[in-house]
Amino acid sequence: MTAPSKPRSPVRRRVIQAAAASAALTTLGFPAIVRAQSKRLKVGVLLPRSGYQGFIGQSCQKGADLAPGVIKQMLGVDVELMNADTETNVDVARTRAERLIQEGANVLVGAFDSGQTVAIAQVAEQRGTPLVINIAAAPQITEQGYKFVFRNFQTARDIVGNGLRLTGDLFHATNTVPRTAVFMHVNDTFGTAVSRGIAAAMPHMTQLPFKIVDTISYDPAARDLTVEVSKAKASNADFLMLVCRLNDAIALRREMVKQRWNPMGIISPGSPGMYEEQYFKTLGKFSEYSISNVPWYNPRAELTHVVEKAFQKQNPGEKFPFHGLNVGFTFEAIMIAADAFKRAGSTDPKTLADAIRQTNIPRKMMLGAPIKFNAKGQVEGIGSACVQNLKGLPTVVLPADAATAKPVFPAPYYKA
Amino acid sequence: MSAQRRAQVLLAILAVALIVLPFVSGSYVLSVATLILFFAFTGQAWNVMMGFAGQLSLGHSLYVGLGAYAAAGLFFHYGIGPWAGVWLAIALCVVAGAVIGFLAFRFGISGVYFALLTIAFAEFTRIGFDHITWLGGAAGLFIKVEQRDTWDLLNLRGTPKMFYFVMLALAAGAFAFCTWLLRSRAGYYWQAIREDEDAAQALGINTFRWKMLAVVISAAMTGVAGVFYAFYYNNLFPEQTYHISRSIEIILGPIIGGLGTLFGPILGAAVLTILADSITEIMAAAGIEVPGVKQVFYGLCLLVVIMFLPNGIWPAIARRLGLKDK
Repeated sequence: MTAPSKPRSPVRRRVIQAAAASAALTTLGFPAIVRAQSKRLKVGVLLPRSGYQGFIGQSCQKGADLAPGVIKQMLGVDVELMNADTETNVDVARTRAERLIQEGANVLVGAFDSGQTVAIAQVAEQRGTPLVINIAAAPQITEQGYKFVFRNFQTARDIVGNGLRLTGDLFHATNTVPRTAVFMHVNDTFGTAVSRGIAAAMPHMTQLPFKIVDTISYDPAARDLTVEVSKAKASNADFLMLVCRLNDAIALRREMVKQRWNPMGIISPGSPGMYEEQYFKTLGKFSEYSISNVPWYNPRAELTHVVEKAFQKQNPGEKFPFHGLNVGFTFEAIMIAADAFKRAGSTDPKTLADAIRQTNIPRKMMLGAPIKFNAKGQVEGIGSACVQNLKGLPTVVLPADAATAKPVFPAPYYKA
Repeated sequence: MSAQRRAQVLLAILAVALIVLPFVSGSYVLSVATLILFFAFTGQAWNVMMGFAGQLSLGHSLYVGLGAYAAAGLFFHYGIGPWAGVWLAIALCVVAGAVIGFLAFRFGISGVYFALLTIAFAEFTRIGFDHITWLGGAAGLFIKVEQRDTWDLLNLRGTPKMFYFVMLALAAGAFAFCTWLLRSRAGYYWQAIREDEDAAQALGINTFRWKMLAVVISAAMTGVAGVFYAFYYNNLFPEQTYHISRSIEIILGPIIGGLGTLFGPILGAAVLTILADSITEIMAAAGIEVPGVKQVFYGLCLLVVIMFLPNGIWPAIARRLGLKDK
């Protein structure tokens, strides 16, 4: 005689129990036993896709989205993306990083903003999971002695240095010798940091023919820049050196037109704003000839064509040059991880980190030297481009070997 | 079982659960729990000013920032640990709170004008800190991070578990301190001022003095939270630390949980943080990857809570459990 069998619970209840159990295991942290044996690289992509940096975060995400396909084609590596939105918030960035690692991310990529990146970097370091930074410029990030944090982006110092050097190259290439500049900058965290960098770098840039005759800071949220532009115009400077964001750049350019101030040109030594799509859309012909010296992609590189093709396939309505910077660095960050995974043949975090440290990728998309990390986890020799707004698109005009057009300086409407 | 006994049992269960949590949870849950405790603590601090004394501050990020920068600056430049730095943090916050309070209460600034004053102080401090190069200025102040496998409580360098327990101790301390405050003479005076300041004054309460006390206590407590913030995140940017969004984050917990109650800030912080994370998880499970949708849902949930539970969640729960609102 057999004991009466225990009544079985209804199927629905069992399903719910199983789901709850698996959810609990996930929540409580199931040990990643088979982590190192995976044949697929799980990349946790952390980007600010909402909040006030949402627009740029979404632009970076486009680079991540196309990466698995292109990398499979290039390296034969299977990449699985695990996307997380940091909501432009350091607290969220930290908890999302924890979540991704717990869910099995082998490597993290992100996070555009320095504050959020540092929050993620600490989690990565604590948990021993490699983090490849796509965009974040605070120099201190790679000065912390981290062992699992790698950056393929210029530091703020490099951006300013390269930006000023390119300004000199521009004058050389156009046989112009402006003697004076008026420097205008936003007074937010970014603008203040860059302006300080410029003040520190200028004395060492003896090759630059000009001196700054006036420095004018302004609020990035200011709707009316009449006074600031009047003051800049009154300085009689040959050209305007501008560190801006998008909205203020538009307001400032409009005010310049209104006040009929036509300096030789507007040159940004390293800030967003003037190469962004909205700047073109809003200003139309007045967006032309503005110059931004920024880290940029090499439009002549073979990999750029491959990425651009994939981008256009996924985003048929978008223009690649407006996303190239964000797409390029995000794609390269994932490519670095995939390349290391291919060489290491393992997703073991330490092995993967060691492999990333040995990276040597000459065939790249962004300007500059091959991707190689120094002892601090920083790629050195990342290049900037002199990007001028020509025919409605941001166009590389310098360095000459990457240029697709010649620089136009002074701007045509300039009258001495 | 009496209401008080029931409350004690519930509190004991919660305490045990919070102590056991790090040993049974993964690091993700631990980081979320640390965040909840941080906002419970800062919410408790803000509640002293608004919930108890009725003084609306929308610039509490000022005290988070002052506390954070004071302790981080001492540690960064002189290697002075946070337990020494916390006294400077408290002192600075008390002075800042006293200045704001004096300006407002001495010249009869109250209500929304007082709130605007608190925002203004936080804003110009943010701009000022952008230019203090000794504290990193706009480029940020970074505390050296080390690979941490051991607990160094003296220097607040350690594992996430250590930070969790530090925050748990702070939150528990704040809860006990606020319980004592609310039952003290100050607590009764504050409530009288909150309900009707003129009547309180007519009864002989020196409203200036007691409001000042509420402001400086609230500021000092928030400054302590700032010290934790600095050593937990290890980087400080004026734009993030002093931003008004941080002030709003601080006040949301007590408002949703129950203004003027002791358990409201804790419950509010827990509900808001868990709600935010749950929405993310549900969206991910449903395969919805539309940026910003989470914020819409989050806003709707808050709207529902405010519409149907205008006094906050805790008073409603307390009534159901047969407990006192406070």
